[in-house]
Amino acid sequence: MPGAIDQDPFDRSRRIGWLDLGSVFKSRVLMVGAGALGNEVGKCLALSGFRRVTVVDMDRVVGSNLNRCLFFTREDARAGSDKAEVVARGIEGLSPEARARAVVGRLEDLPDRFYEGFDVVLGCLDNIPARVHANSHAYHAGVPYIDGAMEGFLGKVTVCLPPDGACVQCGMNRTHSKVADMRFSCTGEGVVFHEPRLAAEITTTSVVSAVMVRECLKVVSGRTDMALRNTFYYDGQRNVAEEVEVPLDPRCPNHPPRVLQVSENNITSGSVQ
Amino acid sequence: MVLLTFRLKVKNAETGATVEMELDGDNTVDEVIESAATFWNKDMGAYVLRKGKKVLRGGSTLGDTGVMAEDVLELIPDPEGG
Ligand SMILES: [Zn+2]
Repeated sequence: MPGAIDQDPFDRSRRIGWLDLGSVFKSRVLMVGAGALGNEVGKCLALSGFRRVTVVDMDRVVGSNLNRCLFFTREDARAGSDKAEVVARGIEGLSPEARARAVVGRLEDLPDRFYEGFDVVLGCLDNIPARVHANSHAYHAGVPYIDGAMEGFLGKVTVCLPPDGACVQCGMNRTHSKVADMRFSCTGEGVVFHEPRLAAEITTTSVVSAVMVRECLKVVSGRTDMALRNTFYYDGQRNVAEEVEVPLDPRCPNHPPRVLQVSENNITSGSVQ
Repeated sequence: MVLLTFRLKVKNAETGATVEMELDGDNTVDEVIESAATFWNKDMGAYVLRKGKKVLRGGSTLGDTGVMAEDVLELIPDPEGG
């Protein structure tokens, strides 16, 4: 016979000793990007107990999204629904306590101090310039940033913990700059396509999103000691998954040189502005 | 400044193939990545080079990274989509 504990949606989560569900319920999460990763991340956030989620995306749903996006329907594709709106409503549909806010617009148009209002940022983006933008704004706001990326059966998750950890840009090199320069978008009515179209499917989307939200659970539970150090690589074709370190690059623009500020009685560290 | 020439192997993470390269200590990681990607006719895309469990910085010279002769580095694609 089912008892009271079987009526609690989070009973099984409460059995995870380190998980701080109180913090999960009240954490303010910013999700940038509401495409394939955004759908799956939204699902995992809602079922994990996150209740205060903001979703940002400028795009509209099209038919080719439907092989990997839980919340999008053919009707959304026909109507050209705003992705951020559909994902926000999807989160609320899975979690009655959730209040998901949709922001339909470009990352670049968000107010300067927008990121400071969040406890964690989840990057569900599909291009390098947007990733660099979100990474740097989160880092400068001092907010942990968890970035997901995928192509075909390859996936990657990076955890950035300011003020001392490496960031996504630390792991970029000249090939990233070339790709960022060469990719261009065909912009239709609120729909952006990146050229060339990249391979994408649901199973890798699910793996990457699940790892992102699991790292998010660690961050908001105050267990960054268990967080990825700092990148997870996944190759679903070869069945390889491993943790790799991207060291902090002192030449990365997100890490200004730190100096010691010496006063009479104490020594503290600070940044050169 | 005397720059040593040495050989190292770069492994293609996607196929397991390896290529041996003769390099100087002042060659950069960026140059190794681009040479290897060109050699294997890789698609236009982002790649990183790693040694063991660490990703090497693109702008660093091989001398700076502490790479040694006969080391095996691995070229891995860096996915971009979402
Ligand atoms: Zn950095």
